[in-house]
Amino acid sequence: MNVLRILALVKMELKKIIREPAYLFLMILFPAALTLVFGLAFGTLDTGIPGVNQFDMMTPGLFAYACIFIIMIVAQSFTDDREQGLLKRISLTPTTSSEFMSSHIISNTILSIVQVVIVTVCSVLIGFRPEGSIFGFLIAFMFMIILSICSVGFGLICSTIAKSSGTATALSFIFILPQMFFGTFIPLTETTRVIAYFLPSYYATESLSMILIEGISLTDLSIWINLGILSILSILIILLGILIFKRYGNKNF
Amino acid sequence: MEMNIKTNNKSVSLDNTNQAIVIRNLVKNFGDIIAVNQLNLEIKNGELFSLLGPNGAGKTTTINILSGLIKPTEGSVFVGGYDIRKELNPIKNLIGVCPQEAAIYKFLTGKENLELFGYLHGMTKEDIKNRSEYLLNTLDFLEASKRKVKGYSGGMLRKLNMLMALIHDPKIAFLDEPTVGMDPRARRKVWEFIKSLKTQNKTIILTTHYMEEAEALSDRVGIIDYGELIANGTPEELIKKFEVKNLEEVFLKITGRRIVEGI
Repeated sequence: MNVLRILALVKMELKKIIREPAYLFLMILFPAALTLVFGLAFGTLDTGIPGVNQFDMMTPGLFAYACIFIIMIVAQSFTDDREQGLLKRISLTPTTSSEFMSSHIISNTILSIVQVVIVTVCSVLIGFRPEGSIFGFLIAFMFMIILSICSVGFGLICSTIAKSSGTATALSFIFILPQMFFGTFIPLTETTRVIAYFLPSYYATESLSMILIEGISLTDLSIWINLGILSILSILIILLGILIFKRYGNKNF
Repeated sequence: MEMNIKTNNKSVSLDNTNQAIVIRNLVKNFGDIIAVNQLNLEIKNGELFSLLGPNGAGKTTTINILSGLIKPTEGSVFVGGYDIRKELNPIKNLIGVCPQEAAIYKFLTGKENLELFGYLHGMTKEDIKNRSEYLLNTLDFLEASKRKVKGYSGGMLRKLNMLMALIHDPKIAFLDEPTVGMDPRARRKVWEFIKSLKTQNKTIILTTHYMEEAEALSDRVGIIDYGELIANGTPEELIKKFEVKNLEEVFLKITGRRIVEGI
């Protein structure tokens, strides 16, 4: 592993986001707008629990949603780079695929952290007051980072299947929408919860709710079980993403 | 002079030290299409070899095989003495590839692109700085390199595309149509630069559709058609052999014959 190489790739990926207005919009304005709209729409709705309104209940889902959104960015970015022959060009250098993939995981984790910070700031401005200790926050953060690694995997799968960046975007919604409907800010029924068990974002949202809303003690086993399940799912998905991308995703001739 | 080398099943000895590239009986099929057919070729260290041929003749496929991007169907290929099938990693350190389509990050500046690929080739910050300064100065590209690639003209893209392939000072450079779309002045500048690479004992494999370019630069040219090497020699030798005035006439005389003959 050559650290300079990984850093150079991370820097490039971040510049891609900062310098492309479309990406920047998706990255910053979209989560901010979503949080504000949800805050204004649901901030006054009562949940029956004293001191907790509907928006508070939804905030963990918004955090998870910000991490899921990485799927679209990764799918587009890989497909773009492939279309322009850049992946081929990188494969001509001694860069190993583990260095290349690490750089993507690092840069996208940074992106999701930025998004989570934006959602946090916006929701706190609207009146969300999270429970929990600093340690609780760190664990919550860990959930979000693992979920975004999982999203990088989904993004890789999308860009492998898609032939152009347009189809990559469309395909990414196949992975975004179910996770959004059944695993983020939309309340679950008995039936939808069964579907949710198969979605990584469900475990993140559930645990974030437990930590940030219910202020559950971190000694509670369910948080750690969720963390375990999410980690296993994420590792499987990112490995699957890397494998099929390596096998089929870099061929354009 | 070697002409029309046909199947030559000699086993490759490891005494390839003076040969930058050794290709033996190379075949590449894409489904039913034979892109490269029984290609045999040797390129010496420090030689500038031009690979010429009509569109779709198999030039880029050959370069893609030599640079390890695609696997040969049959035959053996050695680059810098390393077997392309088994020892791709050391080869990657030896070669620089300038692809036909400019592959450049548009949102970065020219300089940032050079730096990125310097790091990808495992260079240090100091080396990258010195090398890119040298390259940018030599090709009058220093000012342009500070701007984002998005605003570059076609010719500027080609120049940067080539510089990115040479940032790590490779011993063997593959330049796939490096001067397409350049104005005559820029092209001359690139020619001078390519000649200067020759004085540094670099091996260069050039493909081009500009015959005057091949004539001006090459030590030796190979003409490839339907994936087969149909001529191989110095420009002077070929002109003499086919009794014509220049390389362009050689090209016109011997390529596309199958179309004419209806084969």
